[in-house]
Amino acid sequence: MTTLECRNCGAGAPVDDHFCPQCSRILALGRHGDFFSFLGLSRKLVIDQGQLERRFRDLSRQFHPDYFYNASPSERLASLERSSYLNDAYRALRNPISRIEHLLAIEGLPSPKSENGTAKVPPALLEQVFELNEQLDEIRESRESGGDSSVLRERLEAARKPIDVKREEHEREVEALSARWDEQFESATGAEKRATLDALRERLLERNYINNLLTTIDRECAVLGPQSPVHRPGTSDPGPEPKSVDRGL
Amino acid sequence: MGKVVGIDLGTTNSLVAYVHDGVPRVIRDGSGDGLVPSVVSLGEDGTFFVGREAQRRLLTAPSRTVYSVKRFMGRGIDDVRDDASLLPFRVGGEPGGVVRIGLADRELTPPEISAFVLRELKQRAEDHFQEQGEFDFEVDRAVITVPAYFNDAQRTATRDAGRLAGLEVLRIVNEPTAASLAYGLDRRDRGIIAVYDLGGGTFDISILKVEDGVFQVLATNGDTHLGGDDIDRLLVELVLAELPRQNDESKEQHDNDGSQKQDPSYADEAAGQVWSSSRADQGPGGAVGRVLFSRPADQIQAIRKAVIEAKFDLSDADETDIRVDALGYRRRITRTEFEQLIRPLVERTIQPVRQALADAGLEPSEVDEAVLVGGSTRVPLVRRLVSELFGRSPHSELNPDEVVALGAAVQADILISGRREMLLLDVTPLSLGIETMGGVVSKIIMRNSTIPASGREMFTTGVDNQTSVDIHVLQGERELAADCRSLARFKLRGIPPMPAGLPRIEVRFQIDANGILSVAASELRTSIAQTIEVKPSYGLTDQEVERMLIESFEHAQADVDARLLIEARNEAETVINATEKSLRRPDFADIAAADLQPGETERIEAALAALKQAMGREDRDLIRDETHALNHATQHLAEVMMNRGVREALAGKNVKDV
Repeated sequence: MTTLECRNCGAGAPVDDHFCPQCSRILALGRHGDFFSFLGLSRKLVIDQGQLERRFRDLSRQFHPDYFYNASPSERLASLERSSYLNDAYRALRNPISRIEHLLAIEGLPSPKSENGTAKVPPALLEQVFELNEQLDEIRESRESGGDSSVLRERLEAARKPIDVKREEHEREVEALSARWDEQFESATGAEKRATLDALRERLLERNYINNLLTTIDRECAVLGPQSPVHRPGTSDPGPEPKSVDRGL
Repeated sequence: MGKVVGIDLGTTNSLVAYVHDGVPRVIRDGSGDGLVPSVVSLGEDGTFFVGREAQRRLLTAPSRTVYSVKRFMGRGIDDVRDDASLLPFRVGGEPGGVVRIGLADRELTPPEISAFVLRELKQRAEDHFQEQGEFDFEVDRAVITVPAYFNDAQRTATRDAGRLAGLEVLRIVNEPTAASLAYGLDRRDRGIIAVYDLGGGTFDISILKVEDGVFQVLATNGDTHLGGDDIDRLLVELVLAELPRQNDESKEQHDNDGSQKQDPSYADEAAGQVWSSSRADQGPGGAVGRVLFSRPADQIQAIRKAVIEAKFDLSDADETDIRVDALGYRRRITRTEFEQLIRPLVERTIQPVRQALADAGLEPSEVDEAVLVGGSTRVPLVRRLVSELFGRSPHSELNPDEVVALGAAVQADILISGRREMLLLDVTPLSLGIETMGGVVSKIIMRNSTIPASGREMFTTGVDNQTSVDIHVLQGERELAADCRSLARFKLRGIPPMPAGLPRIEVRFQIDANGILSVAASELRTSIAQTIEVKPSYGLTDQEVERMLIESFEHAQADVDARLLIEARNEAETVINATEKSLRRPDFADIAAADLQPGETERIEAALAALKQAMGREDRDLIRDETHALNHATQHLAEVMMNRGVREALAGKNVKDV
């Protein structure tokens, strides 16, 4: 699988190599698409974070532009490109959700992000969405006619509960599917694996939708005045943006 | 190849350091002072003063003296209007362009002014290496630090300043990260470090994870407009409010914003003039539309000096006096009063700290060490606040003024030696995006992404046979382009004529290890690389930098001459003072009678008079020759004095011993 050519000595190198096997100079990046193999990891979703970090540090130590200050222009460029790509790869794989998104992308599924923002409600959420919208309408109406903000806040909290429950339930499902993918990774048939990927993609779409609902509730809370003293981790912070995932080529 | 140094180019003070035998050291002047005030003053003869000399001129020539220029780096006139109204020098520029600072008949950009400070540091380092007997003492490369929260334009302006000073800028490094490197030298342990950096004009918070010698920044945040300067300004305003009104009656006509008073004799002395062509009522050259402060600039500077001294006192004392002798003003201020006054400012650092922790996904209790950097962290209220924020007392073993320069020197050493024990992985502080339909920003590289970082975006055309596309690049966290920082506008040209929507133009954004952006583009269907025309929104074009370089060479000889003259004068003054002190001794007549040769006193007096006369002229060589002559004439006297001193000291000792 020789797909890289060393610009220094002309020798061929496997696509996942970082340095020329013949002259040991850093290789130009070429068109690499797989963060897992770039980091020397198998395409699995349950990752040892410690191992991932160590890989990242090791490779940073090999590629970083700091160490190519005196090198030739082409090596400096290669160092810059490899470092950038390494940083992208680490950022994407560190977060479980962006890791799944990257897996879906390299397995050839359309990005769940591309459907983000469309009005279509995922079937699994129809009931919750219907109920929530009804409640929100009532709360807004009451607010506009001068309802007591602490009562309204309580109602918002109550409306939020089933969504929170759904979200937790959902997270467990994503974890279970991720584990299933890892089990299937070596043995299962293509169709079985594809079914797992489709299910994962469905979950990510739902997840986006749930997060949007929670944001809507937060916005309503903010309209009611000073921030509620109850701190809810995970909703105000969208986490590391998985957006860059789609961009590595 | 010449020498490599690390430079902390600060708002108030700057420093230069280098690594010797693996240990970073600050380069100091003869009196052990490592700080070079970041002050530049245009002399009446057209030459420039830098550092301490320029700082003294804040009081005597305020309208010709620039300080805190770092606040203007990479900024436009609209960003700095508030600041400018309080400054004694003229600040102007075209709307949407770089700030220009007017000193007498010269008009300079912030990078040009910073270049003077950098040249002074370069000179200081070269003098040092020459004194050390180094054969190759020229300093030609440097690592320069910037606040972590500096945007692309501010970083680029700093790099331009380095170029203008004749330095190859090896790397732009973030100040808090540099500080962590300096700390990391001694403490090779692992853990989470928070660096709280409150300097003269900027605030940064960086959260780092240190492991196996890799210093990885997890998140950074800050405020490029918050620092000791703001504390000083509050105190100046306090004094101004308390000064009796009668003192400024004569200036009352200038009190109102937009006053059209044109008084050439006054104009040069007036504080806080802002000129800008954005004002509807201005003429060519933009010298109107002033916001005049109600007092002459020298008074403002005298007040500023007095409040800074009081501020320093209050780091240790519970109360002190603000004394402005020139205005007959004196006021007691307690630390409690001071803290009440500055609390709102200091509390503005809390939100960035919380945001950085949230971005790093950490709770305050997970921070293993908090480190204080920057002179303003000497304020006890700041220390208390940091202790409260992290629930632990912060580290400040290294001098908070010097730690950044030391770290810059370490990074410079890493770059040239290729040593791999330590590695710094920094992040970009602000998200990078492009303007899309409706003025909305589409983010391409998120904030706190480890750098180098890259991103791609696909573009196409909207009309048939369209051959160019305009792209507006922005930096910031807000959703609308209007609320973000405009970095540059690009025009993609040379797109092959095709039906609308068919071209697939890939634009690639690359942020390098300096945190500076570059852009490349190609049309994927035809693989034609596009040419990109860069128009930095608040920066200098390459051509402008080239032109300034040429101009600075033209001025360089005059500047060197001015500098040598100052040095000669300083040396002469030292010798004159020492000689006069000896001659004035009450026992001089006895000494002369006992130990000096006949006529020796007269020879000394003659040499002294000759040197004093030479001091009144601009001839450096004459001053130097007369200094040598006086030195020579007093050599014997100095020996006599020293021997007597030793004898007296020994005698004193004998008396005690007996």
